[in-house]
Amino acid sequence: MSEHRAVVVDGVSKVFNRGTPRQVEALVDIDLTVGGGEFVSLIGPSGCGKSTLLRLVANLIEPSTGEVLVAGKDAPRARLDQEYGMAFQQAGLFDWRSVARNVELPLELKGWDGSRRRRRALEMLQLVKLTDFADHKPWQLSGGMQQRVAIARALAAHPRLLLMDEPFGALDEMTREHMQAELLRICAETETSVVFVTHSIPEAVYLSDRVVVMSPRPGRITEIIDVDLGPSRTVETREDASYFKKITEVREALRAGEDDRETEAVVAEERSSR
Amino acid sequence: MTRRRLLTSLGPPIVFGLAFLGLWEAVVRGFDLKPYFLSAPSKIVEAIGDNVDNVWDATVVSGTNALVGLVIGTLLGVAVSFALMRFRVLDDLVTPLAVALNAIPIFVLVTVFNNMFAITSEVPRRLMVTIVVYFIVLVNVAKGLRQVQPTHLELLRSYAASPTAVLSKARIPNAVPYLFTALRIAAPAAVITAFVAEYFGGSQNGLGYGITSNSAGSKNAVAWAYVVGACTLGLVFFLIAVSLESYINTRRGLGPGGGTT
Ligand SMILES: Nc1ncnc2c1ncn2[C@@H]1O[C@H](COP(=O)(O)OP(=O)(O)OP(=O)(O)O)[C@@H](O)[C@H]1O
Ligand SMILES: [Mg+2]
Repeated sequence: MSEHRAVVVDGVSKVFNRGTPRQVEALVDIDLTVGGGEFVSLIGPSGCGKSTLLRLVANLIEPSTGEVLVAGKDAPRARLDQEYGMAFQQAGLFDWRSVARNVELPLELKGWDGSRRRRRALEMLQLVKLTDFADHKPWQLSGGMQQRVAIARALAAHPRLLLMDEPFGALDEMTREHMQAELLRICAETETSVVFVTHSIPEAVYLSDRVVVMSPRPGRITEIIDVDLGPSRTVETREDASYFKKITEVREALRAGEDDRETEAVVAEERSSR
Repeated sequence: MTRRRLLTSLGPPIVFGLAFLGLWEAVVRGFDLKPYFLSAPSKIVEAIGDNVDNVWDATVVSGTNALVGLVIGTLLGVAVSFALMRFRVLDDLVTPLAVALNAIPIFVLVTVFNNMFAITSEVPRRLMVTIVVYFIVLVNVAKGLRQVQPTHLELLRSYAASPTAVLSKARIPNAVPYLFTALRIAAPAAVITAFVAEYFGGSQNGLGYGITSNSAGSKNAVAWAYVVGACTLGLVFFLIAVSLESYINTRRGLGPGGGTT
């Protein structure tokens, strides 16, 4: 049943600037399925195509080959139906709007009326602990606070799917842990599925049901690791032995991906020198 | 606090200006320079006093020309910049042309316009100001409409925003500081164009005409009185535009210097 699948990525490749000297093979043969309510992290070295994969799911770019389904619909349809919310590496707030009005933006585009928007925006700001700053302008906030506003904005319309690209990268460790716990709580409550890009192995393990490990360019999925830490994760989870075991497993998978590439490079070199 | 800041920032230029005037006066008297060569500030003040009505009338004429051209040029510039954004081809054609025209003194075109209209008409000058302002506003506002943060465009795309929504939620607000930067440049340019255009003939009532017609012999001091009028007019336009720009930029958190280049 496709309705139970939040995301299906089927045989997707992405080549940028095909046929030009700046041609980049960003993704090769990606197959990935995200179930309803599932939390999946993408992890891999810089430039391996994590953001590209996320943008393909969001239909911000088109795949070169293959097919992307979101909520059972093809990706363009899903985007038009606003099936997902998104948070980027950069907060991307609108300078001329107050914090609350930034959070209201997706609701505005959905045609919600003013008071309903405002109520939801304040609810979301409470979630990220920024109620006091509702009427501030974004540039009056620190980088981390701005990122929290961006997360509130992504959650505002209560989408069934969240696409997040290193959203916590700019936060301090304590805020980050708090945001991670909050994100898990919200997703569990609302049965939201998440595709989450991160550079942090502990973050990936703590948050995810599955961690997708990707290899350096051209990006492939080298391994998908099930993280079975029980239904609810708490502060204790971070000190649990099974948590550390998973972290090690992901780290080794990442290193294996790198090694593969080195072997390939050596083989290619030998081939060309022959 | 702010008053003291104002004093410390305004104090030195004022002192310098007064000292300069004093020196000027002393040189004219000390070397006994003839009025047709250089008038003393005291004589100029006298001339302003004697001709206050004439100078005021001329200032109103030139000021009105500048203002009318500024308003129409701004409206036109904004309107066309939207059209450029809508139609890419137009943009590729017009923008390089506009940039090039901004770099040359196109106000000499006023001689052509003078031949097209009645000799007493103010239209040629207003038309000239309009054209100068139009290109400045066009180039800047078009840039503001185009240079939107890529993240903003992606976000709006992810919200399935219509082209109209992209315009109203991102492009137009983004272009606002660019408009006020354009006005800061265009306002003094409008005044300069308005009275330089008077040098090229046409009706004989503005500041530029007052300067040229009086800048001979004993009337030199009167010419200077018109110069003072012209400077004041230019300063007023400039200060209003600068205040507007810094007000807008402060509200945006860009700082009074502006974030638009
Ligand atoms: N619009 C584009 N045009 C051309 N090449 C692109 C474009 N977007 C990404 N790329 C290339 O695709 C590759 C993957 O980029 P991507 O941003 O997906 O990496 P990433 O895994 O998100 O990296 P990071 O962890 O540093 O964010 C890179 O080599 C990048 O240069
Ligand atoms: Mg990235």
